[in-house]
Amino acid sequence: MAEMWITMGPQHPMTHGLWTLRVKVDGETVVDTVPELGYIHRGVEKICEARDYTQITPYCDRLCYASAMTWAQSYIYAAEDLLGAEVPERAEYIRLISVEMQRIASHLMWLGAYCPDVGNLTVFVWCLRDRELFLDLLQELGGSRMHYNFPRVGGVKRDLPIGFANRARAKIEMFLNRLQEYEMLLDESTIFLVRTQGVGACKAEDMINAGVTGPNVRAAGVNYDVRWAHPYSVYDQIDGIASVEKASSNQGSDCYDRYRVRMTEMVESCNMILSALDSIPGGAETHYNKKDEMIYIKPPTRAPAGQNGFHHFEDSRGESTFYLAGGGGKKGRGEFPYRMSIRSPMFITIPYVAKAMIGYKVADIPAIMGSFDPCIGETDR
Amino acid sequence: MQSISSEQNLSAVELAVNETNKRFEEAGVTAEAGQHRSGRKFSFVQINCPPNHWVSLAKWLRFEQGVDYLSMITGIHFPLEFEFIDGQKGYNPGTPEKGWEVVIHLTRKGIKNPNVGEQTVINASKLTGIEIPLEYQISLILPQTDEPKVPSVQSIWEGADWNEKETWDLVGIEFEGHQNMMRVLNPHDSPLGFHPLQKQHKIRYHDHNEMYDDAQGFMRKPLDSDKKK
Repeated sequence: MAEMWITMGPQHPMTHGLWTLRVKVDGETVVDTVPELGYIHRGVEKICEARDYTQITPYCDRLCYASAMTWAQSYIYAAEDLLGAEVPERAEYIRLISVEMQRIASHLMWLGAYCPDVGNLTVFVWCLRDRELFLDLLQELGGSRMHYNFPRVGGVKRDLPIGFANRARAKIEMFLNRLQEYEMLLDESTIFLVRTQGVGACKAEDMINAGVTGPNVRAAGVNYDVRWAHPYSVYDQIDGIASVEKASSNQGSDCYDRYRVRMTEMVESCNMILSALDSIPGGAETHYNKKDEMIYIKPPTRAPAGQNGFHHFEDSRGESTFYLAGGGGKKGRGEFPYRMSIRSPMFITIPYVAKAMIGYKVADIPAIMGSFDPCIGETDR
Repeated sequence: MQSISSEQNLSAVELAVNETNKRFEEAGVTAEAGQHRSGRKFSFVQINCPPNHWVSLAKWLRFEQGVDYLSMITGIHFPLEFEFIDGQKGYNPGTPEKGWEVVIHLTRKGIKNPNVGEQTVINASKLTGIEIPLEYQISLILPQTDEPKVPSVQSIWEGADWNEKETWDLVGIEFEGHQNMMRVLNPHDSPLGFHPLQKQHKIRYHDHNEMYDDAQGFMRKPLDSDKKK
């Protein structure tokens, strides 16, 4: 049968955003693929060359609409590396709590978007319902529901509100019960299992060589996690492990493993939040004012030319890296970065996945692509 | 969560710095321990490498030091002197020896394929020697030139492929030996030689006060507004 090219996207239910996958098919089998990105390139890196270090945070929030807090914090750690800022320990705990909540919300968004792809619409509604629990908590911290602008270089914007810890504990208890309902619904659904098991096999070493990280590589049976390998924040002081799944065949992990690893990661994130609320310095029921030295230490605002900072961060989709070179701004006084560079996990993952789906059927494309949790906002930046 | 301790980090950095300096002494490659200034104050390996030795260094790191992951490639433009498109002079920190810089971030992760039905659970506190995860920052410095070129490492790390595409697309640094180079973020029909992260290109609100004075852009006039028609 003659081979032909099919263009999936930029508007296509499979794409979860604006991008194009050109697929060469032989009958029903995928023979070759070419991804085309850049539909929503906003030039964030160029814009940030004319913004000071506080003004950049909201731009980094807007890199990914499903995971704004992790991206803002990813930038904040790199900026602190560049400026040499001190951070109080209580602020690190608050950041940890907020970033793990965002990770749960992001994984719920992924599950909600993925299940309709493979024929289960119920979970979509359930996920959006439970995501609200965590968005409400994050709203108490940042003030808005999607782009929080919450972390600051040298601390956080606000302390935990009074009663936050109790509400968080109650919501997490409810959420952990509901997560069992999800597992009962999905792990016993024949449609879901047939669509995901044995589909989209990827080996751990291949993935890491291609630059795929995070939950996707942990699904293949290796518990590599930036949070313990290049430790930052206070992850070593709280309970919790990096969730890891067993590789289900000698071809590596399949879509079902990638679903499982995100489910266990949500449970682990819940444990980390509970543990952090218990051990936060100053107590979770205390509220310090804005700019109190318990939550914020004023950082230096300028970095001279020649200094640079970078930070590897465990984002909910993999490893995000920021690189900042100091010495920008008018006459090189250093109030702006001279160059900011963003490493987006999905920008590297999408080309890898496009090659990994060669040999599978056309109907498997949404299942494979969706299981890697693509987000086009951060891909195109 | 059990994590790498600062002693493990320091010993790994020392080992890597010494081995790199010993191996590439004659090639002019210098390695030193860099230190993060934030939070945990961990160290990383900073290597300055002449661009013509980059491929041999990369092969050595990949196949003998176990550096299995390329995180990011960043191109930076340091022009000697330049004007913006509207005629305004720009500040430039460039020198004749340093016109472009390519910064490469690598990480050693030490990932092995597990057997079927098994999982590798790494115990962070028991890692030693070259098993310890480590960060590398490689800096390639190019002199002032209109055609910056560095060798491609696409065949060593597959992950370098799209990183190099992006760097060429945005900054205009060519990667010799790269297969299938193309525009990835800019439109595919962008003019030849248009690379927006080079410093002569100016964004709309270059000065941030401009944005506050005229947030809606009502006061901006077309460039030919003072001409008599």
